[in-house]
Amino acid sequence: MSSTIPWSAGVSAPYVRRYTSAVKMTETDAQVPEVDSDQDVISRVLAGDRDVFATLIGRYSDPLYRHALGMTGSPDVAEDILQTSFIKAYHHLTEVRGRFDAWLFRIVANGCKDWLKNIRRTHLSYDEDDQPSGFASPDEDLDRTELRSDLDYALAQLATSLREAFIMKHVEGRSYEEMADLLGTTVGALKMRVHRAREALQALLEEKYA
Amino acid sequence: MLDSHEANDRQLDAGQQVERCDDAGDRQTGDRPRANRPAVDREVPLSGSMAAEDGNALAINQWLDGDVTEADARRADTKQVELWNRIATETERRKRMVTPAYVAANIMAALPEQRVDAQTATATEKRTVTSAETERGLSMNMAVAIGAGMFTMGLVIGTLVL
Repeated sequence: MSSTIPWSAGVSAPYVRRYTSAVKMTETDAQVPEVDSDQDVISRVLAGDRDVFATLIGRYSDPLYRHALGMTGSPDVAEDILQTSFIKAYHHLTEVRGRFDAWLFRIVANGCKDWLKNIRRTHLSYDEDDQPSGFASPDEDLDRTELRSDLDYALAQLATSLREAFIMKHVEGRSYEEMADLLGTTVGALKMRVHRAREALQALLEEKYA
Repeated sequence: MLDSHEANDRQLDAGQQVERCDDAGDRQTGDRPRANRPAVDREVPLSGSMAAEDGNALAINQWLDGDVTEADARRADTKQVELWNRIATETERRKRMVTPAYVAANIMAALPEQRVDAQTATATEKRTVTSAETERGLSMNMAVAIGAGMFTMGLVIGTLVL
């Protein structure tokens, strides 16, 4: 079975398995969703079942889209990077060693860094984002739009490594350990990056908002 | 940039190690004049306000990392807590963002029916380039032949007219 379970978004299959095996101890087997591991899915794709690749897209596209959107500030660019990365991953599936999600994350992260290297933009905006607002009054909505725009501007001022660390921590909600695993660095270095990103954002935003 | 910080940290550790060794009994090198000590060894006294600021920043960071409660952070700096609560409303919204549905469909549509490995794809590309070059070579030969034919016709017509 290759269905995607909502809470597994952004979580690697081994973690999902660990979680489901923990659940099995307290609930009946019928209630536990069966999840194909990434490796099972990859094996099926390599055996010629092209359509099952959609399982991997469903499993990882949301956290990767949020990462690309946070890094580039543009929904269009984020979509392009995501599409290119998945297509690249499909063609290089035989080269996956270790965790597929970490490997895929690196493709997307590198795509974002390449884009940032090539296109320097001073102001990034989420204006094209048409996510519905959950705020009651128009005033609140206006306030929020302003904060959104100011936060985008402030994020765009950060060095790429600081922005990446901040986005992974605060937008993707990853733990320092997971970030260290994905970026191949130490928890201490990442804590330092996040702290420095916060300091920089605080300095840019406190005059207006604090 | 951060790596250099880590390097400095290591230097600092090394410096502290030297001091510890000195304390252990090497009097000759242990009592270096203060001015000759490397910068990392020197203690710079913080003014009261700077130390307090650092303490507040630390409390805010600890709160944002989930190590202390909001009440603890508020005791350190209420304004910063308010600011980060506002920022959190926006980051929470972004956490809920999902990939537009058509992106997955676009990716699947862009995948070839038969999976081709990257190496095979490169080889195919090379073959395509080679055949394109061959075609270009053929059309160049045809152009030369047509040109030569037209030149000959021009000569014949010219001779007849004269």
